[in-house]
Amino acid sequence: MARRMLNQDLIEALTDNCAPIRPLPHPAWRALVWFAVSLCYVAIVVAAMGVRPDFVAKISDPQFATELAAAFLTSVVAAAGAFSAGCPARPAWERFAAGFFLLIWMGAFAVGCWRDVDAYGVSGLLSHSDIYCLPTILAISIPAAALILSMVKRGAPIAPFVTIGLAALASTALAEAALRLSFRQDPAVSVCIWQFGSVVLLTGIASLFGRALLHWTRRDALIASFQAHRR
Amino acid sequence: MSELSDTSNDRESRWRALMASAQDGDHAAYRELLSDLFPVLRRFVLRKWPNAHDTEDVVQEILVSIHTVRQTYDRRRPFTPWLMTIAARRVADAARSRYARGANETTVDILPETFDGDGAKSEQETRDDREALRRAMAILPAGQRQAIELIKIQGLSLDEASQVTGKSIGSLKVGIHRAIKAMRQALERNG
Repeated sequence: MARRMLNQDLIEALTDNCAPIRPLPHPAWRALVWFAVSLCYVAIVVAAMGVRPDFVAKISDPQFATELAAAFLTSVVAAAGAFSAGCPARPAWERFAAGFFLLIWMGAFAVGCWRDVDAYGVSGLLSHSDIYCLPTILAISIPAAALILSMVKRGAPIAPFVTIGLAALASTALAEAALRLSFRQDPAVSVCIWQFGSVVLLTGIASLFGRALLHWTRRDALIASFQAHRR
Repeated sequence: MSELSDTSNDRESRWRALMASAQDGDHAAYRELLSDLFPVLRRFVLRKWPNAHDTEDVVQEILVSIHTVRQTYDRRRPFTPWLMTIAARRVADAARSRYARGANETTVDILPETFDGDGAKSEQETRDDREALRRAMAILPAGQRQAIELIKIQGLSLDEASQVTGKSIGSLKVGIHRAIKAMRQALERNG
């Protein structure tokens, strides 16, 4: 720990380094910017992997359309929540609004499972192993996650676990939607376990790194950076 | 009551105006705002954490946090809740790191005598040690000297020093290792 500074010296040091800054735009606006850029990237990924051949037929299925829309909405609202969590004193509901769309998403899976049971009996709930969903969702989500991380780092690390968790949810939900647009994996229970499960798992793991990824700048580090810039 | 609320409203309006000017780069407004906030934050820290040993350090850390995240203040929203959210978070962080440090510390009544500590030496010996160290540091390349200054003298973490210098943590570790080796050799050579 460096020697304690005099209060007046600190105020002078901060004042001397008070360059004009642009206040961050509204979290919703930043979320839309992130979503638009990430959507372009996801469109390229889906085009590269190939759109599923039955897409036109599937998108007219209300259960599939709801599931896809809920994934996209969870993504954009979670991104807005992550940006909101980095702005001190913003309303707490903004952080948790993504939960509403997450519930709709889970509801769509529940409807899908019920339909499978109705059509195939209990065997409709048997899932085959599809462990590759996890690395695929991880790989697709990395660029979107890197972009949102660079954006949330401009905020304040008031709630690092929540911020990183929401940022990871936004990225992985988008990657899951890309997977649904490319791969034919339709048994609802399989999609729920292997795709939605991967989203939940990756979000949980990422949020554990909240404090490592987002932290306050300490006084000594800031003063040292002022001195380094002056040299 | 109404007078109190008027005063509080006046203060809020004043701080909002000062912060908006500070975001535009107005040094005088920023100095005035930080000077205004200091006693308010000190009272806040003392109220939240009456047993804090280092109130001034905590208040200084809060001011630094305000400086580093001042872009998150939205001019259309009230200033005081923004300020107090940051202050409350930093007090909680300081308390947590204090307890974490305290859990690994052992209190002893009498410190063992050590010839490494300045207290066990004469003034002349202390001056000689410092001079020898200064000479040993002077022969280091600039990068290694900066690493020693930031990490060993100013007490920054590797992560923080990496942010300041723009070097990787690995490169800083190598720099520190080589610098200490070179300084040890220089000190041995000079007896």
